[in-house]
Amino acid sequence: MRKFPGNNGVDKIKIEKDLLLDQQMLAAENRRILDRFNVKMIDIMGSVGTGKTSLIQQVVKQLKSNYRIVVINGDLDTTIDQERIGSCGVDAYQINTGKECHLDAVTVRGMLKQINLEQTDLILVENVGNLICPVDFPLGAHRRLMVISVTEGPYVARKHPAVFMEMEYVAINKTDLAAVMNVDVGELIRDIKGIRVNARVYPISCRQQGGLGDLATALLEDI
Amino acid sequence: MHEFGITSRIVNTVLQAAAEHKSTQVLEVELLIGRLTFLNPAQVQYSYELLARGTILEGSTLIIEEIEGAVRCMKCQRINSLKLPPQGCYDPFPSFCCPECGGSVEIIQGKECLVKGAKMI
Repeated sequence: MRKFPGNNGVDKIKIEKDLLLDQQMLAAENRRILDRFNVKMIDIMGSVGTGKTSLIQQVVKQLKSNYRIVVINGDLDTTIDQERIGSCGVDAYQINTGKECHLDAVTVRGMLKQINLEQTDLILVENVGNLICPVDFPLGAHRRLMVISVTEGPYVARKHPAVFMEMEYVAINKTDLAAVMNVDVGELIRDIKGIRVNARVYPISCRQQGGLGDLATALLEDI
Repeated sequence: MHEFGITSRIVNTVLQAAAEHKSTQVLEVELLIGRLTFLNPAQVQYSYELLARGTILEGSTLIIEEIEGAVRCMKCQRINSLKLPPQGCYDPFPSFCCPECGGSVEIIQGKECLVKGAKMI
């Protein structure tokens, strides 16, 4: 391949490597590891402050008598979430990404090595607070849940259709504040279903502990 | 937002290919980005220039081709393209179901970030 006369020494090289497809393959490897140990994993995504940690705390409360649960918390910095989840009586592992706006399959693989998978039924992953970026980076989870809340205003689904197009499960948190925020939860649900006809949308309130039983049941149904 | 991270993987992929070919200078890199990814080509371009500095990619041209999204109906198997309107965003967004039978659809094109190839010396 070296410097043939007539092409000024320029070689045209085929590379054909898809970096996002690579991510999907790494995620599929994670899935195989989880399936080997019969562990289910749920990737919980959402903007900063939508209540992902609160939701996990509530879901843990609902499920911990029947499932051995481990939580992975992703954040740029601090172990605040790990401590919050730890106080619920389950093991929590913190990933600090420094500057990265999402978790990826490789980081999660590192965590899977640390977790005793034989003694685990369910892993809840709290992704880095970000509505958009984690969508491009599957982790190998059996379910992906997007958490939004009424405090982001009434247009969050309509403004981010390409995000909701990929989300089968959506939780709308802080519904107890809907009236104060002047947000119509029914309209948010219609927006989400308008983008993705088979989306499963669960209005919840972590503060008032509303709707969480239905959500937890739905997340584990036929998993 | 994650363009810098993904672009550093692009640069590493090309550097690896260049090393395999014992290249001393990369002149041009061809990249394909799907319109259903959350990658902004302008930011990829900017990150590329920064990340190429000090490597054999410095000064090379990154050619980015964008590809439209397409979905296939899981019920009637019909394929529909999600063509991006001239204003550069989907407004209104095409409903994520089959326009023919209303069935659920899956994405079959538009999620690419493909390093196609490179010209190097």
